[in-house]
Amino acid sequence: MKNAQVLLDNWPLLLPLLILELGLMIAAVIHVLRHPHYRFGNKVMWLIVVIVFEIIGPVIYFAFGRGKNE
Amino acid sequence: MILILFKKELRETWRTWKLPIMLIVFVIFGIMNPLMAKLTPEILKMSNLAGKLSLPAPTSLDSWTQFYKNISQIGIYLFMMIFAGIVNHEVSQHTLVNLVTKGLSRNAVIWSKWLILLGQWLSLNSLSFLVTWGYTAFYFPDNHSPHPVLAFLPLLILGCFIAGVIVFASTITRSNYQSLLIEIFMMIVLYLINLFKQTVHYNPLSLMSKNLDFLQRQNSVADYWPAMLITVGLGLLLTFLASRIFAHQRL
Repeated sequence: MKNAQVLLDNWPLLLPLLILELGLMIAAVIHVLRHPHYRFGNKVMWLIVVIVFEIIGPVIYFAFGRGKNE
Repeated sequence: MILILFKKELRETWRTWKLPIMLIVFVIFGIMNPLMAKLTPEILKMSNLAGKLSLPAPTSLDSWTQFYKNISQIGIYLFMMIFAGIVNHEVSQHTLVNLVTKGLSRNAVIWSKWLILLGQWLSLNSLSFLVTWGYTAFYFPDNHSPHPVLAFLPLLILGCFIAGVIVFASTITRSNYQSLLIEIFMMIVLYLINLFKQTVHYNPLSLMSKNLDFLQRQNSVADYWPAMLITVGLGLLLTFLASRIFAHQRL
């Protein structure tokens, strides 16, 4: 009950945060699926990385995992 | 010439998703700061310690503490990670060969890269700052942090150095990883220098670690002008060195 109250009190912070994190994750997932050539690793590994690791996962993918052909 | 290249770099950073990704990440940081400040006492209350310790209500200072912690411990390294390949990627792809043989100045290539990095550092941090500032003013309308803008300016100045480090590291190396290693190595050197207390007014690191002082006491910023000069100087020097090295590099 009390936890729900905390969520309700902070929705102006939590809602945009949730949307942005989801956006980042979805952008990375789409990129992983559309560009099946990676510098290392495979599709499943990168999907797990970008979905499980909030914020850091997508950044690491775009910095290191993304393949050469744009 | 630099202006045209700058536009090219801007298009590139946008189309390779680097800028959009960093924009989202820095806005997330901006929102997380006041949120963490607000939630930390709640989380502690839910734990078993409840009642055993008295928790002061969070203030705007807690929110700004989170801001400078996030930028200096995570944000700066994500920035380095994403842009580590800014020079050596193009060298390894041979995309510059045609342009340079047609008379494009190599100096202009390096300086435009430095400028685009600086520009992105300024805009990303400012965005994050504005988001945190807005939420902090709304949730913690107290007078514990009277100089938010003044405290933030040194962080922008640090961008000169960060951009220089990235361009330099990326020029002397062949891959993202090597470049990132050198960047982190330079940060470690700064942290080691920081162990000597008397260097604090000269170390570029102070510009991202002493901000909470600046936030509360306006006067203390003036003591750090040597650090600011050194930061800008080092940034320009590293970029200049990079352009000298780049001039003799095989593309």
